[in-house]
Amino acid sequence: MASVNIAGREVELDEDGFMVNPDDWTEDCAKYFASGEGINELNDDHWKVIHYLRDYYKQFQIAPMIRKLCKETGCSLKYIYELFPSGPAKGSCKLAGLPKPTGCV
Amino acid sequence: MALSKERLGRYNPEKPQENRLTDLGPRHFWEFFPPVIQENYGKWLYHDILEPGILAHVSETGAKVYTVRCGAARFMTVQHVREICEIADKYCKGYVRFTTRNNIEFLVDSIEGLEALKKDLESRKFAGGSFKFPIGGTGAGISNIVHTQGYIHCHTPATDASSMVKAVSDELFEYFKGMTLPAKLRVSMACCLNMCGAVHCSDIALLGYHRKPPIVDHEYISKLCEIPLAIAACPVGAISPDKTESGKKTVKIKSERCMFCGNCYTMCQALPLSDQEGDGVTILAGGKISNRISDPKFSKVVVPWLPNSFPRFPEVVENVKKIVEAYAKGANKYERLGDWAERIGWERFFEQCGLEFTEHLIDDYRLAYDTWRTSTQFKFTDAAWEVSKVAGGIEE
Ligand code: HEM
Ligand code: HEM
Ligand code: SF4
Ligand code: SF4
Repeated sequence: MASVNIAGREVELDEDGFMVNPDDWTEDCAKYFASGEGINELNDDHWKVIHYLRDYYKQFQIAPMIRKLCKETGCSLKYIYELFPSGPAKGSCKLAGLPKPTGCV
Repeated sequence: MALSKERLGRYNPEKPQENRLTDLGPRHFWEFFPPVIQENYGKWLYHDILEPGILAHVSETGAKVYTVRCGAARFMTVQHVREICEIADKYCKGYVRFTTRNNIEFLVDSIEGLEALKKDLESRKFAGGSFKFPIGGTGAGISNIVHTQGYIHCHTPATDASSMVKAVSDELFEYFKGMTLPAKLRVSMACCLNMCGAVHCSDIALLGYHRKPPIVDHEYISKLCEIPLAIAACPVGAISPDKTESGKKTVKIKSERCMFCGNCYTMCQALPLSDQEGDGVTILAGGKISNRISDPKFSKVVVPWLPNSFPRFPEVVENVKKIVEAYAKGANKYERLGDWAERIGWERFFEQCGLEFTEHLIDDYRLAYDTWRTSTQFKFTDAAWEVSKVAGGIEE
């Protein structure tokens, strides 16, 4: 596993660029991942989704289902893709420092 | 086809959304129909199987089309695909199709074309001697084996797909080239019990199987996995939350409850379970998906475990042959393997195939009760006499 330097701290990443330890996350990590996911600047809606994902993960230790994410943030799936071009799993979960999605993806 | 640089330019990683094409869907199948198929679409009157691997369809316009079906390894190189294209260009106006069992079909519209094509196909061999395009797979024989990724590409297999399929196909080759069975016999293969493909609904099915519980990687599990997903993944509730000595979140697995499905590993990479000695092959039999005469059926486990003897799987091959030969001998015309087994009774199926019946084959999962015998209707078999004698039951 490789590690990168994000705002002066070493952060461990796997081969798909997901964080190995979700507890290492800071807002700087989200900013660091943004460019790799085709996002130039993180606006308020980006942060709303990212913080919702982190809060949900902290409480339940899983990522929310897409339906839940859309309902609670008020963002349609189409809008989520506009915010995070690689989608809610590969895009927004990565920025939020959540574990890599598993299963038959 | 060269890399497109003209219309939309090269992909620019700085601006990934620029000139991005999406949601185009597949090409419409009509574009790739041979002219004779386009002209007679929806007008076919009848078809014949001229000989194994060769079909003739006749249209109400009088048009005829001959189809030559060839076996294929499914996993193939671009070089092989180019050779398929070369053949299609030479005999079929550049058209070719693949079947739902991953056979290749070349279509021609004249008998002369058909003869030349057949001769050419049969002459092509790989350097090692295998046929590149063996003709067959029609009618009451054994067509291609639907199979999966195995060690070539997947992370959850308990066995290999391509090598086992090659070993079994080599032994069943005469049935691919002939139509000598009571009905078609479908063989399929999956390398774990995700059962990608058709193992749960095939006449004979080969399935990769584990026999040891997962190993928990306590160090990484809380970082890599969504622990509630791993717990919910278990069909028998064998996983529960736990803490390591240093207070990290982890799980514990009740190994006496685990039946090694590997579903928790699919959800959580910190729970690996594949094992050189433990992993092997289960054989199932009697499934079908058509509604012909009898309803569609699930296949049932008939051999609990055989070793992964790479690369030729002699034990698997031997058991498949036993089943095929007993079926060929015993079944009536049009009877699929499952129809035959149900007619003679599964106790007779085991006797005629020479398979051992063990406790592993008795269902013990939730709806199991319905699979036990709630009747005195059964036939005595040698195996039943043995059990009876051991139990001091009926004297001979
Ligand atoms: C009108 C719809 C369908 C038609 C005309 C059709 C036709 C066929 C044909 C001709 C084959 C044999 C191909 C060969 O031998 O190479 C086949 C095999 C198969 N089809 Fe379909 N199919 C249809 C729908 C489906 C559906 C909805 C499913 C799954 C839900 C399915 C699953 C399969 C499977 C698993 C096989 C391989 C197993 C076997 O041949 O026994 N098919 N189908
Ligand atoms: C661990 C879960 C799974 C993974 C990682 C997975 C992965 C894949 C991959 C990578 C392929 C492409 C194979 C290739 O290009 O040769 C594939 C094909 C396929 N998968 Fe899965 N799959 C999974 C579960 C399933 C399940 C549960 C089913 C059906 C019940 C399924 C049905 C299929 C079928 C029908 C194909 C097409 C095979 C072909 O046309 O050659 N998969 N899968
Ligand atoms: S059957 Fe299992 S091991 Fe084989 S390709 Fe499918 S998911 Fe992978
Ligand atoms: S392998 Fe299957 S049965 Fe065993 S713990 Fe994992 S999910 Fe449960």
